Amino acid sequence: MSAIKTEAAPYLDAFRANASEPAWLVDHRRAALTAFGERGFPSRREEAWRFTNLRPLTAHAFAPIPSPSIGEGRNAERQRGISGGGDAGGAITPTRSQPSAARALPHQGGGKLGAEIDLGVPTYRLVFLNGILQSGPTDLPKGAWLASTARTIAERPDLAKQALDPSDLAGGQPFASLNAALFADGFVLALEPGATLDRPVEIIHIAEAVSAASIHSRNAILLSAGAKATVIETYSGKGAYWTNAVTEVAVGAGAALVHIQLQDEDRRAIHLAMARAKLAKGASYRNFGLTLGANLSRRDVQIALGEGASCAVNGAYLLRGEQDTTNAIFIDHAAPGATTRELFKGVLDERAHGAFLGTIAVRQDAQKTDAQQTSRTLLLSDRAAIDTKPELDILADDVKCSHGAAVGDLDKDMLFYLRARGIGADEARRLLIEAFVLDAIETVEDMRIREHLSSRVRRWLGSFETHASRAPQDEGRA
Amino acid sequence: MSLLNIDNLHASVEGGREILKGISLEVKAGEVHAIMGPNGSGKSTLAGVLAGREGYTVSQGSVTYDGRDLLAMSPEDRARAGIFLAFQYPVEIPGVNNMYFLRMALNALHRARGEPELDAGQFLKTVRAKLKFLEIEDDLLQRAVNVGFSGGEKKRNEIFQMAMLEPRLAILDETDSGLDIDALRLVANGINRLRAPDRAAIMITHYQRLLDYVEPDFVHVLSEGRIVRSGDKSLAAELEKYGYAAFGDAA
Ligand SMILES: Nc1ncnc2c1ncn2[C@@H]1O[C@H](COP(=O)(O)OP(=O)(O)OP(=O)(O)O)[C@@H](O)[C@H]1O
Ligand SMILES: [Mg+2]
Repeated sequence: MSAIKTEAAPYLDAFRANASEPAWLVDHRRAALTAFGERGFPSRREEAWRFTNLRPLTAHAFAPIPSPSIGEGRNAERQRGISGGGDAGGAITPTRSQPSAARALPHQGGGKLGAEIDLGVPTYRLVFLNGILQSGPTDLPKGAWLASTARTIAERPDLAKQALDPSDLAGGQPFASLNAALFADGFVLALEPGATLDRPVEIIHIAEAVSAASIHSRNAILLSAGAKATVIETYSGKGAYWTNAVTEVAVGAGAALVHIQLQDEDRRAIHLAMARAKLAKGASYRNFGLTLGANLSRRDVQIALGEGASCAVNGAYLLRGEQDTTNAIFIDHAAPGATTRELFKGVLDERAHGAFLGTIAVRQDAQKTDAQQTSRTLLLSDRAAIDTKPELDILADDVKCSHGAAVGDLDKDMLFYLRARGIGADEARRLLIEAFVLDAIETVEDMRIREHLSSRVRRWLGSFETHASRAPQDEGRA
Repeated sequence: MSLLNIDNLHASVEGGREILKGISLEVKAGEVHAIMGPNGSGKSTLAGVLAGREGYTVSQGSVTYDGRDLLAMSPEDRARAGIFLAFQYPVEIPGVNNMYFLRMALNALHRARGEPELDAGQFLKTVRAKLKFLEIEDDLLQRAVNVGFSGGEKKRNEIFQMAMLEPRLAILDETDSGLDIDALRLVANGINRLRAPDRAAIMITHYQRLLDYVEPDFVHVLSEGRIVRSGDKSLAAELEKYGYAAFGDAA
């Protein structure tokens, strides 16, 4: 057996098999843990992790939140078990006994959560506090399963098994392996053939941590042939916690899934989210990620396309301070006639750093592949930086593939035009930044969700300290 | 009363090349001035310096607008003080809705004057009234600012903005270029409507034709960064006949 990596040790120590869980799950967890222990955290020498500085993550051990099926006494035991993090015991608000944030949360419908976290329209809503389900919908239509992962394990093991993936055991994606070993909860959405949800599914994550703690959620979205759904996940919280989420996605033949990920975590937090999607023949998967929060974040989206399937992976990120984000998109055109569209818009201010890794692999028999990838970034400060790495690996000959990347500052002529009409310099900059990310946001077809995302962007812009207030020189003489 | 007073203005571009070489011009309230001159003579540079475009260095001279040192004001403050530049090349701004932009601009002006901002309804009413006489399609207003507009549509959009913002000093940089004869008449109509004893306009143009519709009080010839000749409307006719060559070396 290979040696255990030191940075992995606290997480291995924290692992306790849960006697109430089925054997297939315990076995998967153990094997995934072993894979993680041997692999350790990724290194920047690895191409896929070259641009992601994991120091905030490796600097502490983040005590995992225990799963809800384990009693209070076991909680304390588990948390004591993690030693590397110093005062890790009680790092996080206990989940059952003190659902402080959750108590204020309406269960569903159009009620408002604080700070406009929710969509504000009727949805099938699940609210998680520190990764544990607090409330869920009770009025699901026929043909739909939507419940916590914990409950799905107990009641629908057939679906729960699909939230796990053999790659968890291989160690190629160490954080997904760790997630498999340690996840406490999550959600599973499953639609029977032809089932359609009349409202979006809204997954709200709220974290409250007083010191380093990690939240591992495991999710699955499983659409059978011809089914249709829209899922929006929102991550927010308070504290220096670590969110490590993995969502397994399966879209059946002719089924269509819209998957929105809104990341607005605490600016001290770490957020890693992995979505792995398999698309059957003629399936459609549209993923959009808006990244505003976290100190360090990374969004991995990995898609395997069936024949004639189509996927769109779009996103916008607006960061400042020393925030760092990576979008790592991997599309596998494994079958002919599939389509990929990627559009990313980044706005980086102050010392923020972004990375875009976009790999499109077109296999030999994936003829008539049609793939387009675009990444554009606005650097609003000299110290902001972006790393872009498009990679097209094309083995088929009859394909249409293109990629483009551009980095720039706000357009001087546009700014002058707006100012020459009386619009103040700050307001003009905000207007142009909002306009810059607009086409990415417009890829979201649902108007209410689009408006929700736009309002989040405007809120970010509202606290935008512009260059004019930092550097008075551009107000000078003509 | 003198609304704008340009006195011995020298301006150079990045790299140090001097483009404006001592321009003096007084514009009184109620007047319309036409500035003509060959390509590259500095007409747009003058307009840019007056509107506050970046990238110019004024090495000598002064510009007073309504008693204030114009060159010390930011572009937005100039606009709020009533200066409007109709761009020779209006800028396309993807993602910014034309109506939204215009309402923002109008409200910025209102705020600066201490007047109440217009709500959506009041704004629309004003828009409708102005659109009518400029014969602008509603559709153009719902699009992003100037994006995909034809050359003539862009020019008309400039005049529409001018009509909405009602400037005290309009500077029109070749707003007549590239317009068909009907559009020219509409644009001229837009300018004439704004003529008032307390307003003024500077029209930069290459063509006598615009001056047939908007009669100027003065015509100036700009050549190599200097005003080499000033006169009344008849000067334009003279230019049309003999060209600029006759004036080129006059300075
Ligand atoms: N930013 C700049 N850098 C270098 N040269 C410039 C710059 N801006 C203007 N110029 C030069 O200054 C001169 C005057 O330009 P300007 O645009 O003012 O001319 P114009 O009279 O408006 O010409 P036209 O009739 O063709 O519109 C030109 O020779 C031009 O190339
Ligand atoms: Mg010009």
